[in-house]
Amino acid sequence: MNRTQLIEELRRIVGPTGVIADPVALMTYDADGCVMDTGEPQVVALPTSAEQVSGVVRLAARYGVPIVPRGAGTGLAGGATAIGGGIVVSTARMDRVLEIDARNGRVLCQPGVINWELSQLVKPYGYQFAPDPSSQKACTVGGNIANNAGGPHCLKYGTTSSHVLGVQMVLPDGSIIWTGDGNPAPVGYDLTGVITGSEGTIGLVTAAWLKLTRLPEAVRVVLALFPDIAGASASVSQVIASGFLPAALEIMDRLAIKAVNDMYKLGLPEQAGAALLIEVDGVDDGLDELLADITAVCWRNGALDVRPARTPAEQNQVWAARKNAFGAMGRLAPTYYLVDTVVPRTRLPYTMEQVGRISREYRLPIANVFHAGDGNLHPIILFDRRDRSQNQRALEAATGVMHVSIEQGGVISGEHGIGVEKQDYMTLLFSTDDLAAMAGLHQSFDPYDLFNPGKVFPKGRGCGELAALRKAGVAWSELKSR
Amino acid sequence: MLPASLTRQLTEIVGPDRVTEETAPFAVHGQAPALVITPAAVEDLSRAVAACYAARVPLVPWGGGTRQRWGRPIAAETFVVLRTTGLRSILMHEPDDLTISVEAGMTFAALDAALAGHNQMLPLDPPRPAQSTIGGLLASGADGPRRLAYGTSRDLLIGIRVVEATGRLSKAGGMVVKNVSGFDMMKLYLGSLGTLAIIVSANFKLIPRPRAAASVSCFFEPPERAFRLISALSASQLTPVAVEYREDGVAANIEARIEGLPAAVERHVRDLRRMAEEAGAGAVSLSAEGPVAVEQRWASFNDAPQTVDLAADELVARLSCLPGALETALGDARALAAQAGLPLRVQAHALSGVAYLRLRGGDEGLRAWHAAMLARWPHLVVIGAQPALAAELPVWGAALANLDLMRRIKQEFDPENLLNPGRYVV
Repeated sequence: MNRTQLIEELRRIVGPTGVIADPVALMTYDADGCVMDTGEPQVVALPTSAEQVSGVVRLAARYGVPIVPRGAGTGLAGGATAIGGGIVVSTARMDRVLEIDARNGRVLCQPGVINWELSQLVKPYGYQFAPDPSSQKACTVGGNIANNAGGPHCLKYGTTSSHVLGVQMVLPDGSIIWTGDGNPAPVGYDLTGVITGSEGTIGLVTAAWLKLTRLPEAVRVVLALFPDIAGASASVSQVIASGFLPAALEIMDRLAIKAVNDMYKLGLPEQAGAALLIEVDGVDDGLDELLADITAVCWRNGALDVRPARTPAEQNQVWAARKNAFGAMGRLAPTYYLVDTVVPRTRLPYTMEQVGRISREYRLPIANVFHAGDGNLHPIILFDRRDRSQNQRALEAATGVMHVSIEQGGVISGEHGIGVEKQDYMTLLFSTDDLAAMAGLHQSFDPYDLFNPGKVFPKGRGCGELAALRKAGVAWSELKSR
Repeated sequence: MLPASLTRQLTEIVGPDRVTEETAPFAVHGQAPALVITPAAVEDLSRAVAACYAARVPLVPWGGGTRQRWGRPIAAETFVVLRTTGLRSILMHEPDDLTISVEAGMTFAALDAALAGHNQMLPLDPPRPAQSTIGGLLASGADGPRRLAYGTSRDLLIGIRVVEATGRLSKAGGMVVKNVSGFDMMKLYLGSLGTLAIIVSANFKLIPRPRAAASVSCFFEPPERAFRLISALSASQLTPVAVEYREDGVAANIEARIEGLPAAVERHVRDLRRMAEEAGAGAVSLSAEGPVAVEQRWASFNDAPQTVDLAADELVARLSCLPGALETALGDARALAAQAGLPLRVQAHALSGVAYLRLRGGDEGLRAWHAAMLARWPHLVVIGAQPALAAELPVWGAALANLDLMRRIKQEFDPENLLNPGRYVV
């Protein structure tokens, strides 16, 4: 490939300011939030429209160079990293909200719009964009769609896929399609649904109609402190069983409490082994009684203290601690590896015990901040990346967490995606047949593996190979045993 | 005619008492299948599908048969109906996890009864729950009045297992409520009308049954007035779980279903009364109170889209549009029906933009109404009509975008076009 010529042609498509080719500048694109895996792109393109993206895609196809879509690069699974090189297509300059349709509760925006800014923008209309990943002040809606992002409030409101009404996408052949506009009962295969969460492997979303959620009339937050995770987990189950689904149920463990205490001066007692954050919302009527019920549940389960946060200021303080907990980890160790797995909610206490065992076994501290309502755990393995032994142990500890989660009937990612980080663990969860079905879907969109190749599917079991096996039809089982 | 060897093979696989050649009750748009089989286990079903694949004989997956009037006629002379009703177990239910895994042939009523014992629910509100199966509901993309609060099957389905056209079994998703491990294959099979794979089991996230419930009924004459209430509700922070609009051409009724904390339900009833009166309602009443009474009252509303009982001169259509356009769309439906002299009954998920329209009349009138309506509202799907009319009308609505891509998907998953051939959009 002639890189100079490629860059020249790219400049013609996206303009001279839309191309980054300087070696030093390219270094900032060698990883996303997953620093364990790096890869430098040949060049970065920053298009401003679907037409420009289409031009870039056609060019890439002609040169046989992969396209690696990238939003804010906050992903934690290496989904935006150019592992085998290629053209990183950044959505940073496609950051406009194009239309707010308050009457129909929807908004049309470009993929580079920042999650938090979108919610702020629609607030005066009485709406929010419900998915709220912890990185929401930096991450883009395009990235949210690619990873089917979650967040604390998806316990009640659902993950991103429940909030995407339709997308404009540039396909690997350069064509531009629209998959929907918010029609509530569309006919045809659910392209919007399969595109959401496909991690940039089948095309690039260049605009989206997103569903807006009415802001609740009232919100109550309780922070309950427990001597250990068990009491907090039992409270979670009982609150849910009492016939009301809270908006969020979050737990922080002792180490996480220490980190946020130091940073946000919350004054949480150091003897607390777990902090449970419960948020309920809806119309104002009944919420105080509900708060009293929830408080009683927490006391019954051995809470050390229960602190209701009634005013928005108090609530914001509690939430700031939770959402910035990952940042506060910098106080505890030079590097952390955030693992994202899910188990059925009732398996959380046992799984957390196992995480404790893994921490001791690999001699690395692990802090825990997790979405307890969903069973989505986030062990934060603390280590020093400069120490090769610690590096290796961190990776092995993460693998241990995945094994335990699967053993408990769970899965290997709840909201961060597979990317490169977990691609080789897919076989723990899925049979070759399961993966082949996914490969079939992938091939329908991207038969030449142009988009984000070498991701999601396990190494050595690339899409092409899986799809070829799949085409062998009924002889499948024989083929496998050969 | 089915090859005798295939009949023999299928009989061997599923057992002689699970094969019948009395196929008339399983006709699709008047066309009877050559054979009906009801496998008792997933493995048998998979082997039966593989046998049909090898013989290149098309299959029509069949759950409770309540939505078999949907779609175009089968594009084949000979086909086998494959019933899923032999698969009807709960595979896993951990009440505290609020998740359940069930086989596709289980009826919705049976599932609902099992969940009631644990004070949980799957609020899909299908018509004919005693007949409708889980697999059928998913294949046809079930939604119901309470989608307003709880979403549709799209939002509640967390895992799936299917038998593909070749007989191969594959799964996706899991038994957890949040999962991005691999592609979201659930979305692919959901609503694909059995044209990509046959659903054999499904996992759902469940919702706790509400502590309190009520239903409020508001009468409006003329029907247009009801939309003042709908607009007011849409702009409010109230959270009714369903708001159904019902109309017979002369007057309209808004029925709102409320679930939640007792104080919140009371507040809703109070506010709804006031808002309905301000909108000019002729009468407002508390039509049911308490979860059981409300559920009973809503059974008939849930049944509105049913097409099992269809009069000889009846056409049932589903219209979907942006919620803000519903008033105009229903105005058009009403005016065109009046023009053609057809009596029209409507029930709509008023805040979601989905309406079920039932018309009576001669074929000529129905044809004229449909053509005029479709020209204005492209998302008009005929879900119930007599076979001749269903064969002739563009039942899936106006021409679809992205057909090429959908064809590639169909080709990838069903290369020999054996699953419900011709029935859906590609």
